[in-house]
Amino acid sequence: MGRTTERRTKRRGVAALAVVVPLLLTGVAACGSDSGGGGNVTINFVWWGSEGRANLTKKAVELFQQKNPSIKVQTSFSAYAAYWEKLATQTAGGKPPDVLNVDSRYLAEYGGRNVLADLNSGAGKAISLADVNPELAATGVYQGKRYAVPWAQNTPAMIYDPAAFTAAGGDPAKGMTWDAYAEVARKAGTAGPARGVTDFGILDTTLEIWLRQQGKQFYTPEGKLGFTAGDLRGYWQLASRFRDTKAASPADVTASYNTSPEQSPLGKKLTSSEFAYDNLLPAYQKANGKPLNVAPYPTGANGDTGQYRRPSMFLAVSARSQQQEAAAKLVDFLINDPEVGKIVGTDRGLAPNLKVRAQLASSAKGNDKTLYDYEAALEPKLGAAPPVPPKGAGAIQKLLQRTYEEVAFGRMSIDDAVNRFMTEAQKGLS
Amino acid sequence: MTTLRTPDPPVAPPAPAARGRRGRPAGRRRKSQPEAFAFLTPWLLGAVALTVGPMVVSLYLSFTDYDLFTSPEWVGFGNFAHMFTGDDRYLQSVKVTLIYVLVSVPLKLAVSLLVAMLLNTRRGANGFYRAAFYAPSLLGASVAAALVWRALFMGGGPVNEVLAFFGWHTPSWVDDPQFSLASIVLLGVWQFGAPMVIFLAGLKQIPAELHEAAAIDGAGAFRRFRHITLPMLSPVIFFNLVMEAIHAFQAFTPAFVIGGGRGGPADADLFYTLYLFEVGFQDFRMGYASAMAWVLLVVIAIVTAIVFRTAKLWVFYDDVESTGERK
Repeated sequence: MGRTTERRTKRRGVAALAVVVPLLLTGVAACGSDSGGGGNVTINFVWWGSEGRANLTKKAVELFQQKNPSIKVQTSFSAYAAYWEKLATQTAGGKPPDVLNVDSRYLAEYGGRNVLADLNSGAGKAISLADVNPELAATGVYQGKRYAVPWAQNTPAMIYDPAAFTAAGGDPAKGMTWDAYAEVARKAGTAGPARGVTDFGILDTTLEIWLRQQGKQFYTPEGKLGFTAGDLRGYWQLASRFRDTKAASPADVTASYNTSPEQSPLGKKLTSSEFAYDNLLPAYQKANGKPLNVAPYPTGANGDTGQYRRPSMFLAVSARSQQQEAAAKLVDFLINDPEVGKIVGTDRGLAPNLKVRAQLASSAKGNDKTLYDYEAALEPKLGAAPPVPPKGAGAIQKLLQRTYEEVAFGRMSIDDAVNRFMTEAQKGLS
Repeated sequence: MTTLRTPDPPVAPPAPAARGRRGRPAGRRRKSQPEAFAFLTPWLLGAVALTVGPMVVSLYLSFTDYDLFTSPEWVGFGNFAHMFTGDDRYLQSVKVTLIYVLVSVPLKLAVSLLVAMLLNTRRGANGFYRAAFYAPSLLGASVAAALVWRALFMGGGPVNEVLAFFGWHTPSWVDDPQFSLASIVLLGVWQFGAPMVIFLAGLKQIPAELHEAAAIDGAGAFRRFRHITLPMLSPVIFFNLVMEAIHAFQAFTPAFVIGGGRGGPADADLFYTLYLFEVGFQDFRMGYASAMAWVLLVVIAIVTAIVFRTAKLWVFYDDVESTGERK
């Protein structure tokens, strides 16, 4: 090819590019310029949960926009697992939402990596925690920084079918020992098509409560495992006793366990009780269809239930947000405004603001009343929440589930499974 | 999700390229280049920005420790070493994926060939059956198909009921480590439509005279299949084998949905891509996930290369007639 032709070729190529590229760019720009009407400031707000929860939350956000016409809030929500995947990608892409929903399992993951703003300084100071139980408020503090504030309070609890248990000769609501519970659950399990309890060997929450009943903890404040191989063996032996006597669900039912009440064994009427959180009672009830109730955990000989005031979930502000003041304003509104308390009810748990909570408790009905009464009765016994779980806690939960499944399916002895868990957990936490 | 996608290796259609029909006179081709590039620009931009760029970044990340939020740290071959020395779950995911590829691909090819032959002989409502059998593969990697599958095979589901009627009491297939992978293999095999349609096209190209001549010489149905159909069809088998093997290595959605998004009971459905996804997007180890993606890409390339090499031994290319038509 001659030199002139070559140059001409190039020039034409460049000319073509010059036409096409701006076209593409304007196309992109047109998609990107999606500014909302009315507000001077726009913030993004995301949470996880069901459609029903989203409707309540959107109503609360609407109220906020009415009271703060200069702030526009764009909301979005997804189911729990999808939420974390989406949030991780958004954060990696440098565009995390301004206000976000955080779980204690992931607080260290996000806070420790400077994704979340320290609410003790800067714009975060506008968030009032004056009326929040100080122990509960402290659960959002990790390594001296307040990365999040509790959005609601719940407590680990047993959700159960009172009819099935009364027929078997015991009512967990009155409090019972693990031995007594094993006996009633066995009777309930052999009497009907549903087993007594969803096998709890896979549940990290239940293991944590069981450890606390013995004065131990799941994680130390330094972020290491707070229990030994012997402790885990004891726990899995207890769970296996339930399973072997048919008090607890068979392995394939246990393996189908899913944290959403609609898809859990109790929700599918395959068992008559399940360890979960008290604020999930309405969702379980809806899925199961029978009237259900909440009960405290079974105890050891000393009668300590090991339960605590749990931050059911947190609200946090992105450290990279350009609109931290507006974001902090929304957070403050969501946890302290009495109207919001009325709108969202007990969907996420009890209101974190004690004054708001007292107001709501006095007028509560139905399941809401059950929850208020349950937590009120338990209140003097509730301990402080454990320290924020370390990075990798989300993976530990899954590890516990799959190693116990090996035991439940009879593919591994308890001792081997304990060894595998301890080795992998220590690797994951180091 | 771009990390999960490995570009399809250059699978040429089975028509032999080395047969001398290599395009146009050189001058004409050069002349049309600038216009060609102009029209290609949108595609080129897309390819560079959405495929090549991310691939280069992911190659870099595979040599780092990267948690998505803070800057990547160079760790050399650390990620690759860890896969084969310190990660039992990685090896489990390799095992599950290999079993899936080795069982589902031959099974799927056999079923699709069988159905294609049945459809090739019957004349009546052929079009309807072809569409009916092809439909499942349109649902391909869809979540809906996997959800239905989960409902079919779960505890107390239709499959349990039917088997129990015949006296075989099984646990919930999708929730039992012994049965779970089998249910995913069955889902893969059920979606045999795409290779079937290609087989059908291949079968129609086999000249009827060959069968007739062989039949006159006294060859039975099986011998005709063995000595006429299979050799004549071998380029199509080869093409389907390569495509299906690549797809099987990359299977993700069915395992994700049927295994409850976590690798199934006791990691029985921990497919390679599923573990990769979990490591990258749930455990915040994107460097390790990138390294896994590159190992998968290299393995698929090697397997494809091996299949191409062995092709000389068993793929039979017919004369000019078929090469012309298969374009």
